[in-house]
Amino acid sequence: MKGTSTSPPRVNNTEIAWSWIGAFVGIGFISYANVHIFEKIDLLMIVGSFGASAVLIYGAIKSPLAQPRNLLGGHILSAIVGVTAYQLFGTELWLASATAVATSIAVMHATKTLHPPGGATALIAVIGGDKIHQLGYLYVIFPAGGGACIMLIIALLINNLPKHRRYPEFWL
Amino acid sequence: MDTKDPLEVNRAFSNSVEISDTDVIEAMKEIGGYLDITPGDLKEVLRIAHLQAMKRIANSVRVRDIMTATVYTVGRDTPLRAVADLMAEHRISGVPVLDSEGTVAGIISERDFLSHLGTGGSSSVMGMITWLMKGQACPAATLHSQTAADIMSSPAITVRDAVTLFEIMELFSTRNINRAPVVDADNRLLGIVSRGDIVRSPLAGMR
Repeated sequence: MKGTSTSPPRVNNTEIAWSWIGAFVGIGFISYANVHIFEKIDLLMIVGSFGASAVLIYGAIKSPLAQPRNLLGGHILSAIVGVTAYQLFGTELWLASATAVATSIAVMHATKTLHPPGGATALIAVIGGDKIHQLGYLYVIFPAGGGACIMLIIALLINNLPKHRRYPEFWL
Repeated sequence: MDTKDPLEVNRAFSNSVEISDTDVIEAMKEIGGYLDITPGDLKEVLRIAHLQAMKRIANSVRVRDIMTATVYTVGRDTPLRAVADLMAEHRISGVPVLDSEGTVAGIISERDFLSHLGTGGSSSVMGMITWLMKGQACPAATLHSQTAADIMSSPAITVRDAVTLFEIMELFSTRNINRAPVVDADNRLLGIVSRGDIVRSPLAGMR
């Protein structure tokens, strides 16, 4: 438990700036669309786990966890797992929560789509409240898959603007 | 099966630079973006990859890729004075001895000269210098009447040209030799490979 390494070096200021810009536009876009378009037709386009995804796809774009496969696969698969866990064990919320998160991790590992916000997406499917529960499996697309797609498009645009940055590292 | 890995044993051949923690951290800083790996793990990956690459090269580079093809040779009957002249003029430390059919009969190295000097059995340079400084009789007196066949090491340890760098390093270390004539299936000379050639080989490019 002693630890044998050190923390990686701090990123430079340019990287900090571009991370901020990407996240601002990405989350701004989805939130705006959520309020002004999707909620009006009774759909959800944003969920808490997207804040975590923004860290990765705008702030740590070289990370294997931040790649499109992981973003989309992670959210979609975890949403499926989470909704299923609620529908099976929803009467015992602690059990549904634990099953949802643990299983989503296992599924993401097995499919090489490990994405930390996926665990949150699965958990929110269980403890996210009535509005989320009522969506049932629609949650997988609105907001999980759909929101992730929109954030990805913005990431592809903004992350590649500066010459020294590129995204993604891989697609498949 | 075998003893130690020749690549570990022969550190003298490739003084591979050890990548330090600071090297890794500086490299990560130069990239600028957030790399999702600790410097410790990255250093370990680099160390293993480096060793892996050395093994791969050692197993793919062949003696014919690194040997010296132009070889100075002498015959069995060549007087030692001529052998010594040849070695001195071309600055070589070992010369193959060919017989009349052109096959490799033996090999003469500096050590063979030293061990046949009349210095009371010592075969080192310092032994000879000590002998000279004691004002003793000229140690080369015994050599004047001899030919290559008299002092050569025979049979010479030879290698085929398809032998890998890995196998050569193993051979040099287990037999404690510094050079080997490279021959074809009929024991005819194709070239010569020495420790210097190994040092200058692509393996040396790994440093």
